[in-house]
Amino acid sequence: MSARVRALVGFAAVALILGFAPNMQESLEFPRFYLIFLFTMFFWIAQASSWNILTGYSGYFSFGQGAFYGVGVYTVGVLVVKQGWSFMTALPVAGLLAGLTGLFLGLVVFRVRRLTGEIFALTTLAIAFVLASVARLSPSIDGGTGIFMTGTPLPGFLGEFTTAAYRLTLAITLITVVVAYLIHDSRLGWGLFAIRDDEPVAEGLGVPTFRYKMVALGANALLAGLMGGVWALQLGFVTVDDVFNIRVPLFVILMSVLGGMQHWMGPVIGAVIITTLTDRLNSAGLTDVNQIIIGGMLVVLALAVREGVYVRMRRRWVTTAVSFFGVLGLARLLDLNDSLISDFAYAMVATVVMMLVPDRVWARFGELFGRSHPAEEPIGAEDLTRTGP
Amino acid sequence: MGGLYALMSIGISLSWGALKIINLAHFSFILLSAYIVYQLTVSFEVDPLLMVLVVAPLFFMLGVLVQMFFHLAKVDEFKSLIVTFGLFIIFQSVMQTIWSADFRRIGPVLNPYETQSFFVAGIAFQLPQLVAFVVALLIAGGMWLTFTRTYFGKAVRAVAQDPEMARAFGIDSRRVAVILSGLSTAFSALAGVFIAIGQTMFPQLAVAWFGIVFPIVILGGLGNSLGTLTAGVIIGVAAGVSSVLWGPLSAPLVTFTILIVALLFRPEGLITKRSIA
Repeated sequence: MSARVRALVGFAAVALILGFAPNMQESLEFPRFYLIFLFTMFFWIAQASSWNILTGYSGYFSFGQGAFYGVGVYTVGVLVVKQGWSFMTALPVAGLLAGLTGLFLGLVVFRVRRLTGEIFALTTLAIAFVLASVARLSPSIDGGTGIFMTGTPLPGFLGEFTTAAYRLTLAITLITVVVAYLIHDSRLGWGLFAIRDDEPVAEGLGVPTFRYKMVALGANALLAGLMGGVWALQLGFVTVDDVFNIRVPLFVILMSVLGGMQHWMGPVIGAVIITTLTDRLNSAGLTDVNQIIIGGMLVVLALAVREGVYVRMRRRWVTTAVSFFGVLGLARLLDLNDSLISDFAYAMVATVVMMLVPDRVWARFGELFGRSHPAEEPIGAEDLTRTGP
Repeated sequence: MGGLYALMSIGISLSWGALKIINLAHFSFILLSAYIVYQLTVSFEVDPLLMVLVVAPLFFMLGVLVQMFFHLAKVDEFKSLIVTFGLFIIFQSVMQTIWSADFRRIGPVLNPYETQSFFVAGIAFQLPQLVAFVVALLIAGGMWLTFTRTYFGKAVRAVAQDPEMARAFGIDSRRVAVILSGLSTAFSALAGVFIAIGQTMFPQLAVAWFGIVFPIVILGGLGNSLGTLTAGVIIGVAAGVSSVLWGPLSAPLVTFTILIVALLFRPEGLITKRSIA
């Protein structure tokens, strides 16, 4: 079995276990709240992974995630509530429209050769505001009144409403992660990495840069739109201010920067950690300082761990395992808190802190314990750190 | 409105063009300055225009500190987006915590400027906007003269082109960068004073500026103060006309269309001859 087949079998197994989790809820007696928590986590995993297909792989920094997500939410909202479509036909349309938004943006920005990545970033930042004002102005979309999304009928074979929404989210998330995984180890992925490292050289060596960038941007927008469409189900009330704001781009950037933008696993790990932490902060009543902590983390992480924690976790896997399971076990034993999610949060914080130790300091620690620990040991072809100037 | 938009954009344009730092935190600096002016005016009942003397030096220091931090952390153009985005979020939440999400406005008793207006050729100009335009004109012209005529301007241009080489020729590039960063933050603080005088403030305002200021910066050409002023006036007039014709919500749509058209045909900015970089 090749590595790719093994990975796909792994994805399928995860899908089956998580997909049937709602059925086991009765027998295992875990709180229903855990399902909602997982639901949120899947949403962010999908958003961060789809963002990373463009930004992490090709190096073009995008703030457009909120726009693509918003197109998805509003397409489903308008088609289902105002036009009376069924949800399952509206969802693909949501993905397509978001994808087309992305392609249009790419057509404008990538055509002009002299434009730098920074101007691309700011154009994507602006597009969310433009879409927001279109939605506000047009009465057939929103018109400033918002859309009520309650009681949308879902196909019966998926279970009752919450379970069905959970399974749909899971499905889209898995599709997104599998796409990100497949691109990572494909010709397209290598081409994108080459663009990130040095675009003129990549072009000179025959990488079709324009086409590859368009495919990456289109995939990013399409997947983000699909996830937005499913997320509309649980929003209840859709308003312009709630949908087209800075939250979605902020969180996907933070998650990917934390996890690492060079590997498909980075955003997944980042999303899991950040969702757990924000959930705990919110339930501890610290919603106000939440944003300050998030902003501070973004600054520290961008400066301290440029390659993301995932790469370091692979390099220091013993420490990762010891600190994660050690703290998790300790928290369980001491019974600090009755919530399992809190214990996981402690373990994650401990692990991330261990990963923040700079490589230079780390190498010195290794010497203390009598073994030489090369700081910059490459971990095979997957550790594609930036090589350009 | 064009003058105010230009004033808001000059600082960002300078720091991007000359320092290679895209400072998203500038938006929160503008708002923070506006809130400080509001708070001081309301608490001590002084003339809001006098607050220029307080906030400009204060924000100059802030700009110096920020730039020193960037030097310490070795922030490049790409990283600056993430780092200043983080700073922006921090400043936003701090402001939201202190001044809450309510609408704030300096009352008419303390603020005699707001209601005064002029008629020039049959068009009404509100005094704060007129003063903002004059200040923007002075700053843009002043910066242009500084960059083209003085030794400091030469040093800035050298640093913008190649900091290493500038250092080799005896220019203290770090000091130039620190002063420039201080200046650009001070300009943002000035914009904040006019925001405080002429507008209602709320924390989300800073986010709404993104869609207007970035088109201006890109249109005007990075680090080009006169270009930024021209672009500010164009965008300001376009936004104003579209607000009258199609309602105030259509303004971002119009400015964005201008940006896209401009990107397609003149990606180097309206005025090709750059004053720096």
